[in-house]
Amino acid sequence: MPRLADDPESKFEVSLISRIADGDESAFAALYQRLSSSLYGLAYRMMNDAKEAEDVLQEGFTYIWRKAGSYDPTRSTPFAWAVMIVRNKAIDRLRVRQRGERLRERVEQSVGPERDESSAEEPALRERSAIVRSALEQIPREQREALELAFFGDLTHEEIADRLTTPLGTIKARIRRGLLKLREFLQEET
Amino acid sequence: MIDEQTQDLVLQYLLGELDAPQMENVRAQIESDPELRTFANEMEETLGSLAYAAKPVAAPPDIPQRILRAEGRSVQPAPKPPRSRIVALNLLPWALAACLAIACVILGLDRQRVRKGLSKELAARRQTNAQTSDALAQLQQRSAASEKEIASFREKSADLEKQLAALQEKDAEALKELAALKQKAAEDEQAVAALTQKDAESQKELAALKQKNLLSEIKIATLKAQVAKFQQANAVVVWDTDQRNGVLQLDKLPPPAPGKDYQLWVIDPSKPLPVSAGVLSVPSVGLIRTSFQPVQPVQSAAAFAISLEKSGGSMKPEGQIIFIGK
Repeated sequence: MPRLADDPESKFEVSLISRIADGDESAFAALYQRLSSSLYGLAYRMMNDAKEAEDVLQEGFTYIWRKAGSYDPTRSTPFAWAVMIVRNKAIDRLRVRQRGERLRERVEQSVGPERDESSAEEPALRERSAIVRSALEQIPREQREALELAFFGDLTHEEIADRLTTPLGTIKARIRRGLLKLREFLQEET
Repeated sequence: MIDEQTQDLVLQYLLGELDAPQMENVRAQIESDPELRTFANEMEETLGSLAYAAKPVAAPPDIPQRILRAEGRSVQPAPKPPRSRIVALNLLPWALAACLAIACVILGLDRQRVRKGLSKELAARRQTNAQTSDALAQLQQRSAASEKEIASFREKSADLEKQLAALQEKDAEALKELAALKQKAAEDEQAVAALTQKDAESQKELAALKQKNLLSEIKIATLKAQVAKFQQANAVVVWDTDQRNGVLQLDKLPPPAPGKDYQLWVIDPSKPLPVSAGVLSVPSVGLIRTSFQPVQPVQSAAAFAISLEKSGGSMKPEGQIIFIGK
């Protein structure tokens, strides 16, 4: 995995969350600085709207500020925890606004906002992104497609099956196998 | 070992696809099963890593401040570094001047040495830079070659996968054919066994028919004495209609008188005269068995006769007929 709970970066982030739970604002700012570019990129890819992505990011970090005490380092790394929080916030917005197919098609385009992105990629982040992208490329195309539609497009298994005109069982298998392979590749990389 | 259905359920749970009761149910399962919990944690971690696939974007820097303000925290601007308090001492300017003078002397002496050292180091660094550039160019070249190779391998791999799929399909078809052939072979074996049995029965029938046919080709004629003198004697002919020859058995027939011979005749209705089957040698009274064959081809042996002829026999019956029968 790019970030195991016992790697130095994760350990540091765990300590930041612990300090946030105690109300440490500087720790909050530091965690934001470390994670925000990845999480904003994720929110943008899901919402395809810079303003909405910003709102999602703010909601996500508000949750982190309030619920830092509930974080359990034995269950996931801070990064994965934060990703799932931001993703859930994005899904909530997508579902409330019911943008449906039109929005999902736009999500697939995955075009970034008109911003200077070079500064967003720190060397460590760039390395982790490269590892994950390389791992994703090693997964068969059908599995990657189903996985991305489920994760970024907020499509249920049934909706993916409808969209790809493929049996539901096949879609489930593609997502499962894709994730298992991704885990395997990432473990090999680290 | 977690079955695939449960794995799918956990993934749907992590992706937020389930409704509230289902979510609660899966959460309880995960909490109660350590193996399932490990799986769920690993999958959550893997899903989390997917965020790296999204292109990172520089986020607005003031969001933490906005959040903290909204949460009712008094956000303090970043503290500036404290200014150092310099104690004004009367001797300080003189001391500084002295220090500066000493430093200038030392620096002047050291300057020459440092310049030489720096020149050397600069040359060495330039050389190192040139070497590094070369190495970098080589690495880039290798990297490009590797990428090409990887692309080629991928293409080959895809081809091989296609070939494998085709072979698997062929294999499945071959297996089907093999099964069909085995089935047919079993049926053929059964048919062969049935035919073999039938053949054996036919062979038996044929043997029986041949036996019957053989018997039908044998004709037995008991000749009757035509003269009282030979009433005690017996004469029997066994005639093979297929081979057109026969065996004559005589018993108690006295030897012929001197200058005479017994002669056997075959009576064929298609011929105007009986056909000679040879002169019989009867040296004494007793059982005599002799085989014979007519001197001319016989179509049908209707009857047999024995006559008493002159010594050496005749071309046609001239003497007395002493036996006849059919």
